[in-house]
Amino acid sequence: MRSSLARWASYGATGLTLVFGTALLVSFVAQSLPVWRHEGLAYVTGSVWHFRSEQFGVLPMIYGSVVVSIVALALAAPLAVGAAIWSAEYLNGRNRWWFKVPIELLAGIPSVVYGLLGVLLLRNWIYELFERFEPLSGDTLLTAGVLLAVMILPTVMTLADDALRGVASSQRRAARALGFTQAEGVLRVSLPQAAPGLVAALLLGLGRAMGETIAVFLVVGRQDSQADYGLRSWLEAGQTLTSKLGSSETFLAYGDPLHWSAIVGLGLVLLALVLSLTLAAGRWLPETGLARNRRA
Amino acid sequence: MRRTFALLVAGVLAGVPAAAALRVIGSTTVNPVVSEAAAILRAEAGLEIQVDTAGGSSGGIAALADGRAEMAMVSRPIKVADRQRFPGVDFRSTTIGADALALVVSADVWSAGVRCLSREQVRGLYERRIARWSEVGGPDRQVVFFNKEPGRGTWEVFADWLYGGVEATPMVSHPEVGSNEEARSKVASTRGAITQLSAAWADGVRTFALGLCETGLPVAHPTRAAVAAGDYPLSRPLTVVTDGPPVGVARRLIDFVLGGRGQALVTRHGYLPLSQANGEGGHP
Repeated sequence: MRSSLARWASYGATGLTLVFGTALLVSFVAQSLPVWRHEGLAYVTGSVWHFRSEQFGVLPMIYGSVVVSIVALALAAPLAVGAAIWSAEYLNGRNRWWFKVPIELLAGIPSVVYGLLGVLLLRNWIYELFERFEPLSGDTLLTAGVLLAVMILPTVMTLADDALRGVASSQRRAARALGFTQAEGVLRVSLPQAAPGLVAALLLGLGRAMGETIAVFLVVGRQDSQADYGLRSWLEAGQTLTSKLGSSETFLAYGDPLHWSAIVGLGLVLLALVLSLTLAAGRWLPETGLARNRRA
Repeated sequence: MRRTFALLVAGVLAGVPAAAALRVIGSTTVNPVVSEAAAILRAEAGLEIQVDTAGGSSGGIAALADGRAEMAMVSRPIKVADRQRFPGVDFRSTTIGADALALVVSADVWSAGVRCLSREQVRGLYERRIARWSEVGGPDRQVVFFNKEPGRGTWEVFADWLYGGVEATPMVSHPEVGSNEEARSKVASTRGAITQLSAAWADGVRTFALGLCETGLPVAHPTRAAVAAGDYPLSRPLTVVTDGPPVGVARRLIDFVLGGRGQALVTRHGYLPLSQANGEGGHP
């Protein structure tokens, strides 16, 4: 009796989650229909966003989101994984606690605080550091990327640490017994074994970077309609999907069906971006994990 | 674990504000006056008033229209377009003062000698035809135009003045700024920067308000005296807007702001009190 109750409760919860998820997706698609009809595929390939002339091209924002996330991950990944290796493989007991708890606390700092630090410090640093490239101001895609790197660092680090701690210590002992040094043990045994968990940690960080709004909003410059997509654009003001969604244009759009649908469409594109990333990783992940395990 | 959860719930509940009797949303230009008036009324009369600046003037109007606020702060006149967009709302705006809108530049531009711009020069800067300050007598540095977000009262007043209407304003791509605080801090920390900002917000240390100059005419400075005399063209009313005639707490707030102490707040924040604002003000 009791177990069937638990079973039904869990079925119910799962069903409800599915219903909500699907309803969300359906309402996003339905509400963004006018802009798809208006723009067609040009909605995601067009590079001009000007709502007064009813032009809605989201490419600059997709570009901005991708660039800031890549910068964030490229900077955060080596630091986070490195710190995780140190914490999981070289520290023990109390030392590890002292190392890990402050970092986990960092993960709990509200993003607006990071955003304000970005405004106060980071944008000026970037502005002065790259002065000879004549950036227009300190609000650049690069600034947003660096800020996001700082923000996702604790999350990625603590999850990577968990993944490494999950590797059975018998494996490590076996490596030592075979004459591996500790460094070799980390490289040949722990890292390959923990690979799926590490990739999951990086993906979670990437997801957070893509979805982060307020901190990015404060330092990205919020310039629609990117002119070029070269490396130079990293030092220019840009726009991400989330910073556009966070702008006061949403208040203007409210009440105008086409404009509103263009705004909702941004959410849909962001959802699609994160979803496809997760699905791609989900396909790729278990195979590498299993393959390594089989070999090991 | 359970204690942590309880703490979490308590924290979330504490974060939820109690339902206020009057919610005010809108312009960051009007905000300092209304916020301080609300603080005084809270302390002295125990009135519950909540003031927020999400979305600027248009954000305030939208909030008023869909019931998220009982009063909007709007730093521009209510337009036909607003009434068309929200036909169900009976906009009643009360002018509480006036303000000079200026082009505000960073210290390096000011100290190189740029003191005023003509309308044609402002157009050139806005449309990026003028890309370096040296073209208008400033330093040899690129122009960084921090454009106020569309929907901000400041931006709409600027567009009306420069192009005769929001619709006629050409498409440009600039970095955007939202609140007055953001505009000021970004101009202060960027070389060669310019933005549209309430003149009262330029601190004269790191941000400077330019005058407007047409050939053959004396320079019009964005000062209170010039606005009062009608010599400065880029002035605008500061208003609070209600749906229908203001009643209850809204009425009390408006009466306070229009009274002596309220008008003193208007003056203290660098704006023009009603007595000097060309008789634009008064009750709806």
